[in-house]
Amino acid sequence: MKKFLLIAPGLLALTLAACSQETGNVAVEETDNLLTDDWQEVSEASAGQEVNMYMWGGNDNINRYLDEWVAPRLKRDHDVELNRVPMNDSQDIINQLIDEKSAGKIEGSMDIIWINGENFKAAKDNELLWGDFTGQLPNFNEYIDQEAPEIATDFGEPVEGLEAPWGKAQFVFVHDKSKSETPPKSMDELAQWVRDNPGQFTYPALPDFTGSAFIRHVLYETTGGYEQYQRPAAEIDDLEARLEPMWQYLNDIEPYLWREGETYPESLAKQDQLFASGEIGITMSYDPALAASEVLKGRFPESTRTFVLDGGTLANTHFLSIPFNSSAKAGAMVAINEMLSPEAQIAKLSPENWGDLSALDLDKLAPEQQQAMNEVDLGEATLPLDELEEHRLPELSADYIEIIEKGWMEHVAKD
Amino acid sequence: MKKPRRLLNSILFLLLFIVIGLPFVPLVLSSVSFGWQWPNVLPESFSFRVWEYVLAGSSGTWSAVGVSLLIAFIVTAVNILLAVPAANALVRYSLRGKWLIEAIVFAPIIIPPFVAVMGIHLTFLRLGLTETIFGVVLAHISPTLPYMVRAIMISYNTLSVDWENQARMLGAGPISRFAHVVLPHLLPGIAAGASLSVLISLSQYLITFIIGSGQVVTLPILLFPFISGGDPAVASAYSLLYAGIAIMALVGMDIALKKYYQNKKIATGKG
Repeated sequence: MKKFLLIAPGLLALTLAACSQETGNVAVEETDNLLTDDWQEVSEASAGQEVNMYMWGGNDNINRYLDEWVAPRLKRDHDVELNRVPMNDSQDIINQLIDEKSAGKIEGSMDIIWINGENFKAAKDNELLWGDFTGQLPNFNEYIDQEAPEIATDFGEPVEGLEAPWGKAQFVFVHDKSKSETPPKSMDELAQWVRDNPGQFTYPALPDFTGSAFIRHVLYETTGGYEQYQRPAAEIDDLEARLEPMWQYLNDIEPYLWREGETYPESLAKQDQLFASGEIGITMSYDPALAASEVLKGRFPESTRTFVLDGGTLANTHFLSIPFNSSAKAGAMVAINEMLSPEAQIAKLSPENWGDLSALDLDKLAPEQQQAMNEVDLGEATLPLDELEEHRLPELSADYIEIIEKGWMEHVAKD
Repeated sequence: MKKPRRLLNSILFLLLFIVIGLPFVPLVLSSVSFGWQWPNVLPESFSFRVWEYVLAGSSGTWSAVGVSLLIAFIVTAVNILLAVPAANALVRYSLRGKWLIEAIVFAPIIIPPFVAVMGIHLTFLRLGLTETIFGVVLAHISPTLPYMVRAIMISYNTLSVDWENQARMLGAGPISRFAHVVLPHLLPGIAAGASLSVLISLSQYLITFIIGSGQVVTLPILLFPFISGGDPAVASAYSLLYAGIAIMALVGMDIALKKYYQNKKIATGKG
């Protein structure tokens, strides 16, 4: 009896493993064809498939855009069922895929994942992504500038067709026009503004994504531009010394920050709450249209405006990818292709839906599509697209970000 | 003599009501506010945008409520089946190393359950149990079972074996001894354990998330992205909904229990 108890689960596991192995091999062969087939065949294979899209689920506008704009159109035009799965953190997607890979799960339920930056690098390093699929997508080939650095690389990591650009983001500062008429347009001006308005400025404590991005602007402006950091951090011998002016700057403004810099908001959400309730005068966002959509929701005051630095602000691209073990790869390709269509991108640009910048190259669109794109009412709080475009700075690669986040703890948070 | 006591009672009731009810007021206000600037105590205007989103068909709220309750009640039923014999053995038999068994049964109260779940995830993956309600139910048992065992043990402690012996002398078999002597005595303990079990199961995020892998969507799965870094208004609305469901589940169980006792009274009264 005892022996049987031990053997039974073992046998069960073996049978299950054997079953999945068998079906798995067929699945792998079939889906690899999708990378070379005609689009027509991909499209036929996708009919009737159910596609699970795993993405951060903390914004009702974005959720609604997918559930009420994208999903019904996919169902109607392509017979593909899009099922949005809400996640708390994209990091969780990667962890789950790593577990699935080590357990040998070949038919997973994630079909589309929404990632960029560190998560993309982790996924690529662990070989969690399916393959070079973007070249198969008609809308990718037709409307996207594939040579552009923000499309070909993701935080310094070559994309290699593993993910398709879905939208762009750019860092902006957010202020209330009724309280401060002329916002600071450089880090020097900001330091002056902070001294003139004690307690009115702060930034989210690192490793918050947006707080970390704010500090990268300080780095660029206090240490002489971004160009010097466009190579691996390990190649710069005197990096420690080069970062010194940045820590100096942050420690200089610290006594004039919210709560005298004794503490920092733990997340951007907390900082936005401080801004929404009028406790601080400036917040920041890596989404240039977020302020406009918060005004629409009544959370930020009507007089909210955004601004960029004269020296430019960081910009990045966010991507859609297909995991190695997706069970509906054809459906995922069709869904991603649809989300890159001019119609979907124009709808996404409207702050009522989401307000996310388009990933498409404006010059490649038909005149009437260009016009539609320009006519989208971004809201008074959002800067015009060309003003954003003129003030773009490239991101730093992940190795710098790690060094800066550790350094902030040591140099700024500890004192 | 009677009057001051009534006064005292109503003051106590009022205090309790304030302590329990007051935290809900900001939640309600935040969920319907449109523009709420410091230093205003109340929002300037109101909007039902958030409730519209939460209750609309496309947000999947109602199916999440259904899945949450289904899991909570299956977990509780399984817990009762496991805990009654376990409590019986732990209270009535003196075995060697009993403390060790007790320690293992109660360990999940002290050890954070997700520590174990991280390891269970890989095994469940290999067995194909992830992404299923069955797998999530199994995973929920670990943090809930100790409370159920604890509650039923207390009931067993006050139940003398003499009662069962008496029934046996009067000719009752094991099944009717359990049904007519043991079970009625255990019921309050079972009810207390069941309430805890339902509440704890309803509130699981991490375990559901890891084992369910996004395919088993309960209310906390929808709620968490909004709490940590999303929209506080939506989070408020979901929190209120969550509290409402939890209270309804508890009140529902309470009513069912009272009804049972009432029927019992009538039955024994007649008999």
